[in-house]
Amino acid sequence: MLRKRLFFVFALVLIASMVLAACGPTTEAPATEAPATEAPATEAPATEAPATEEPTPEPTPEPTNRVGGWLDSITMVVASTDSVITQLEAGEIDIYASTLGRAEDFKAAQEAGLKTAASFGGYYELTFNPAGPEFTDGRLNPFANPKIREAMNWLVDRDYIVQEIYGGLAKPKFLPITGAFPDYAKYIDVVRELENKYAYNPEKAAEVINAEMEAMGAVKDADGKWTYNGEPVTIIFLIRNDGDGTRKPIGDYVSNQLEDLGFTVDRQYKTSSEAAPIWIFSDPAEGQWHMYTGGWITTAVSRDQGGNFLFFYSPNSAYGFTPLWGAYQPSEDFENVAQALDRNTFASLEERADLFKTALRLAMEDSARVWLVDQQAFAPYRSEVEVTADLAGGVQGAQLWPFTLRFSGQEGGDMKWAMSDLLVEPWNPVAGSNWVYDTAAIRATNDAGFMSDPFTGLAWPQRAERAEVFVQNGLPVGKTLDWVSLEFVDEIQVPEDAWVDWDAENQVFVTAGEMYPDGLTALRKSVVYYPADFWDTVKWHDGSPMTPADVIMSLIMTFDPGKEASAIYDEAQAGNLEVFLSTFKGFRIVSWDPFVAEYYSDSYGLDAEANVVSFWPSYSQGDAKWDAIAIGNMAEANGELAWSADKAEANEVEQISFIGGPSLEILTKYLDQAIADSYIPYEPTLGQYITAEEAAARYQNLKSFYEAHGHFWVGTGPYILDKVYTTEKTLTLVHNPDYPDKADKWARFATPKIAEAEIDGAGNVVAGAEASFDVYVTFDGAAYPADEIESVKYLVFNAEGALAASGDAELVADGQYVINLSADQTGALTEGASKIEVVVVSKLVSIPTIVDFEFVATK
Amino acid sequence: MTENLPEQTPKQKRSASTSTFSRVLKYSGVRLVTLFITIVIGVYLTILIANMGGYVDQIMRSEIRERVTLAVTQDPANRDISPEQRNKLVEEKVRLEEKRLGLDRPFLVRSVNYLKNAMMLQLGRAQNMTSDSGSKQVRLIILERLPPTLLLMGTSNLILFFTSIFIALALSRRYGSWIDRMVVALSPTSSAPSWFYGIFFILIFAATLRVLPFGGMVDAPPPENRLAYVLSVLKHLILPAGSLIISSFFLSVYNWRTFFLIYSSEDYVEMAKAKGLSSRDIERRYILRPTLPTIVTSFALMIIGLWTGAIITETIFNWPGLGRTIFRAIGLYDTPVIVGTTIIYAYLLAITVFLLDFIYALVDPRVKVGGAQS
Repeated sequence: MLRKRLFFVFALVLIASMVLAACGPTTEAPATEAPATEAPATEAPATEAPATEEPTPEPTPEPTNRVGGWLDSITMVVASTDSVITQLEAGEIDIYASTLGRAEDFKAAQEAGLKTAASFGGYYELTFNPAGPEFTDGRLNPFANPKIREAMNWLVDRDYIVQEIYGGLAKPKFLPITGAFPDYAKYIDVVRELENKYAYNPEKAAEVINAEMEAMGAVKDADGKWTYNGEPVTIIFLIRNDGDGTRKPIGDYVSNQLEDLGFTVDRQYKTSSEAAPIWIFSDPAEGQWHMYTGGWITTAVSRDQGGNFLFFYSPNSAYGFTPLWGAYQPSEDFENVAQALDRNTFASLEERADLFKTALRLAMEDSARVWLVDQQAFAPYRSEVEVTADLAGGVQGAQLWPFTLRFSGQEGGDMKWAMSDLLVEPWNPVAGSNWVYDTAAIRATNDAGFMSDPFTGLAWPQRAERAEVFVQNGLPVGKTLDWVSLEFVDEIQVPEDAWVDWDAENQVFVTAGEMYPDGLTALRKSVVYYPADFWDTVKWHDGSPMTPADVIMSLIMTFDPGKEASAIYDEAQAGNLEVFLSTFKGFRIVSWDPFVAEYYSDSYGLDAEANVVSFWPSYSQGDAKWDAIAIGNMAEANGELAWSADKAEANEVEQISFIGGPSLEILTKYLDQAIADSYIPYEPTLGQYITAEEAAARYQNLKSFYEAHGHFWVGTGPYILDKVYTTEKTLTLVHNPDYPDKADKWARFATPKIAEAEIDGAGNVVAGAEASFDVYVTFDGAAYPADEIESVKYLVFNAEGALAASGDAELVADGQYVINLSADQTGALTEGASKIEVVVVSKLVSIPTIVDFEFVATK
Repeated sequence: MTENLPEQTPKQKRSASTSTFSRVLKYSGVRLVTLFITIVIGVYLTILIANMGGYVDQIMRSEIRERVTLAVTQDPANRDISPEQRNKLVEEKVRLEEKRLGLDRPFLVRSVNYLKNAMMLQLGRAQNMTSDSGSKQVRLIILERLPPTLLLMGTSNLILFFTSIFIALALSRRYGSWIDRMVVALSPTSSAPSWFYGIFFILIFAATLRVLPFGGMVDAPPPENRLAYVLSVLKHLILPAGSLIISSFFLSVYNWRTFFLIYSSEDYVEMAKAKGLSSRDIERRYILRPTLPTIVTSFALMIIGLWTGAIITETIFNWPGLGRTIFRAIGLYDTPVIVGTTIIYAYLLAITVFLLDFIYALVDPRVKVGGAQS
């Protein structure tokens, strides 16, 4: 009897524990198959450092003799997002390079003593259907009214969303630009003014919306519900319930706010696939929806977000073909400003500043979408690990990660790197996998002419030494860094011997003199200079030195696949080539030793650094030596493989993969054939750069590499792709002992130098009298050097929250600034609690530091 | 049971044998045709469901446009082209992508093609997915995942099946014992899915005790030595297989034990017991024998069930199995992969059902192939 009771109690306890555990957070179903395009996640207040508050390890103070990467090997694996923190804690993995976005994971990472690297690529908003005011069936669409859309900004408490939905891992967003990118800091005075103007104010929202609804003919019934022509005004709200799960609570919160104002809300929870045909592709006039929880993502730091206005608000957007964008009706002023910013049709950066500030104001008045948050995702790693993270792309998206990843204070070691996926699609340099996970691994095997700054998006020279940029007078181009010179000229003539096109039939380049006998001009010219020992120092992983033929092959491949006369013609590449040729004006090799090359084009960016073309032998998905490209071309020309997925599909053959699958056997066959024939591809051109002996040696090196590693992925980067295990989703990278640079070359990018700032001053300011505030700018406790500071701006807000004064702080010494408010400036203050904000913009990091100081203004 | 049958002459025997042959032949023919029609209907329904009757075309078109537009817009190379050029480029790329996925042909035509190719086991090429090694061939996508799936599902299901049967058999002879009651009491534990146990196993054995790996099929990097590789795979197999077994163990034992219990209380078993036959003989001759058709059916269905994998458990343990592949294919609306896995399952099921009829006749003399009506 006793035993029976014991069993009964035991069974009850077991069932109860299962029920309790099932209700707990640990049992959440693992929805790990989320699409890669799903937003990364969230963002912290701009004044917070992206890394956690762990003491930042100092870079190795003594110079090292080690070349290439810091580590002996890196093993890349796939880890389930649900157990990442536990695995890091247990030492099973050292770094998780993909991003996590859940607040509970962030908390767990902090509790486990892990470091985190933040990234700021994802952002969320409310998209409105602008059709109306009446839909075709006579229903009222309140959001056809721009004033109601604008008032939605006051109705939404972004701080609530940040704290309650994102657990603090986000930053309130008001404007169509990202808070961590340079344009935000550039125009911070207007940005802050607008952010204050549109701060949460439900009373004002209700006042405007009620007035506008009545003006549109709607009336409230006895229950306080809005009706139109006797029918309730029902808002159809498409709320996404997939992805990271944050859009659903956002949708519910906004629905509640609208219901409080008397609207009836039809909450329709849908996945991306279900919602897209409705919000993007249905006719807005049919009224299948009113609102949608939109989300966007940026994977790299964008230094020019001027195109966002046209993209998000205009029927002339790239999305203009969709019924929704087609229904947008921005004011004429807004459209003109947006077009100018999109196409850079302004004469100076000052003019751009005016246009940009106007566009920000008009965007808020239009409010075709109401921005909610910039999300901050984070990549966790063990405390003994150091790595660089890109502000937008995180660790896996940083071009510099292979150069800075290490165990603190240690040379060598084997690191285990995990991501949420790996080896997703075939790897080939021409048109292979562009999944962020694969690209992250590929970066370790690549080198580059220039390296992207993970904190500002500017380019730094890597293998290249310096560059010159020439642009036509009147173009809005500026420069920041010293390695590039910028010169404005009246006209840029393309030399007659410059190559401007490719004759696929005869396999020779077409010169400007042949194609344009009357001469050809360009808007921009860049000249890149490589160091004198360039050809002696750069070696491919199979031991072959880099040669001019590698560069020429990459130039040929820019054109050849898009030319109908080519043996490797690819319909999918033809469109890209057409676009490229529309602005391309030519390239010219000035000298091979030292390597100097010129590039001519009609396209230009606002930064001189972004206008330099490196001539590095890289393709869209990675570097490649000419012989590896040659065997791929042979296989494609013979109809057995294809570089691009489109052509592979069309011809029903395999897409070329250099690292696995059925491709390897076919590529090996053509490699043997190339060895036997000492094959020189594109002989009329490349024959001038390659001898038969060199060709044989190249192919032989490639074959030896393949025999040693089992794949054809040969780069020049700090790590060599050693082994690939496709089914196990694992690969190993080993140290490249022949890499030309020291391991500490990029050590200064291990940690973003985000400024810390503090304001000191009197707590009481008399309106109409002069006042002074001291500002201290530091990093890691030391004064922030003045030559690394772009600007220290101040903004004074009066008791009503309106901007009363703004200007630049004066430099006193490194890290010390003073703000002197004149009597006129303080005269604009009203009595009550006022605030002075200081915005510090560094040259080294695009995230501005914003601090404020409250004081009382008296008369 | 046969001693009461009337004696047969040679002629009668020949005639009976001819009649049996023709009956079996006729039965087989009808059965095969029926099964084939069932497969055709089942697979076509799968195609219709996988495409939501063509609605998926609309979803895919939207996704293609969105994806292509974003890609074209975000490509720095297209930064300075005019809106007209950009739109033209987008349209061209959308056209190519729709052509690649067959969206330029009506759904009805495609669905018939899918069906025809599926029935002929021409699995074709996936639309969006690639195999682990980068191939688009559905055959390779499935084949690459088959060994890990069979290893995980085979190990766990075979262990589960045989241990359940033998323990249940023993329990059926010890009805009401404390161990029998414990199994009954623990049977509700099977209401929790295997991944639930998987999470606990990971927490206990990987995170806390650190004696077994968190997931994956093999150490990273995989050992070069074959023996070390096998041992590594076995080490990685313990937790996922363990969670699959434990999640069904008690219920399975409980089911079989109840099933055997019915036969254990038959009069002829009691008679055998009274005759003094050993427990082993009673179990083998008087309990197992009459239950064999059910056991064989269950075993056969279990074997073909291995094909489907275990989606969430595979995900929790990062096991490269077919379950995750099928799940991903559904998420990507990759009809060829969905149809490919379905048709293979359908054929396996049909063959099993067909063969089971004959196996029943072999293991149970009461069953006569094609003789159900008579």
